[in-house]
Amino acid sequence: MRLITHNMLKCHVKNCTDPDKQFPLRFKDVQLEQIEADRNDEFLVRMLPRIDWAALLKTAKELNIELPDKVPESPADDGEFLSTLHTVILETHVKDGSMVCDGCGHEYKITNGIPNMLLAEHEI
Amino acid sequence: MKESIPDTLKLSAADKEEQYVHQVYNKIASHFSDTRFKPWPVIERYLRGLPSGSIGTDIGCGNGKYLGVRTGDVFIIGTDRSESLVDICSQRQFECMVSDGLDLPYRADAFDFSISIAVIHHFSSSERRAKAVSEILRVVRSGGTVLIFAWALEQNGRRKFDLSNQDVLVPWVVPGFRTHKGETLDNNDQKQVAVDKVFHRYYHLFREGELPALLQQVGGCEIIESGYDKDNWYVIARKF
Repeated sequence: MRLITHNMLKCHVKNCTDPDKQFPLRFKDVQLEQIEADRNDEFLVRMLPRIDWAALLKTAKELNIELPDKVPESPADDGEFLSTLHTVILETHVKDGSMVCDGCGHEYKITNGIPNMLLAEHEI
Repeated sequence: MKESIPDTLKLSAADKEEQYVHQVYNKIASHFSDTRFKPWPVIERYLRGLPSGSIGTDIGCGNGKYLGVRTGDVFIIGTDRSESLVDICSQRQFECMVSDGLDLPYRADAFDFSISIAVIHHFSSSERRAKAVSEILRVVRSGGTVLIFAWALEQNGRRKFDLSNQDVLVPWVVPGFRTHKGETLDNNDQKQVAVDKVFHRYYHLFREGELPALLQQVGGCEIIESGYDKDNWYVIARKF
């Protein structure tokens, strides 16, 4: 799972409703892997509005990954920023570990790069 | 060819889907995947028409047939309820996860688009089909689009259905089915001859007009295209 995908995930356990704690999910005991991918600047610039930057920043800090505090005013003209963004959200994969909700404590496992987001019956 | 049979199972909706959808796909995943490789034209046109930089999700992505159509300039996350099918997607290097279409793990308004191809007909009550559609719409931003396909009752191809019965069990035949240990399922089969194995999947077959009506009932969107293609009814809708 790439970090771009993690930026879309939110705890969906029933009765877990504190928006400040459901998202982003906190990584626990994760193994990361860098896998090179072709960089497409047009793609990066156009998809940027879909990224929740504060959440990505928080996650990057937890993983000791450097990321600028703010998106530059003109990202299309900032090759260094785009290069960093590409590396962080598209080339950084979580191979194993889990994601924990700080609201309800639910732990979502990641195995061989695949998150399991299914809930138990009482959580739906 | 094996015939479909009416669904007369006395099971709760969730148990029916567990036994006659989830467990079956996990068992037939590999054979199912081998038969699913050619993208359907309406879906390919829809995906090719998306602007570069779009991100979306394929809900009930199966073997990931559509996840690689726009590699590089459109990002698609696949989700499926079947671990075995998600494993196949992962081996093909696609972004994917295991989740339930009734309860998606995404934040609201996250994506530019979502597709759900031949999936919602596996939910066995009208309430659950409505919930699945509302989830598909929930995760798309305002102005984003969704594409939904569901099996038609009025099929005129290789499958024919009794028009008076929308809820059926449809056979899936795996030729020469063997267990993982290389043995036939039939324990007293001394000759070790592989035998065809039939699995039944639950379907709610959609009547003409039922799919657009379902989206209108769920609300919050306008239908921009609907039609019939590849034995399915389909709709493309834009979220308000």
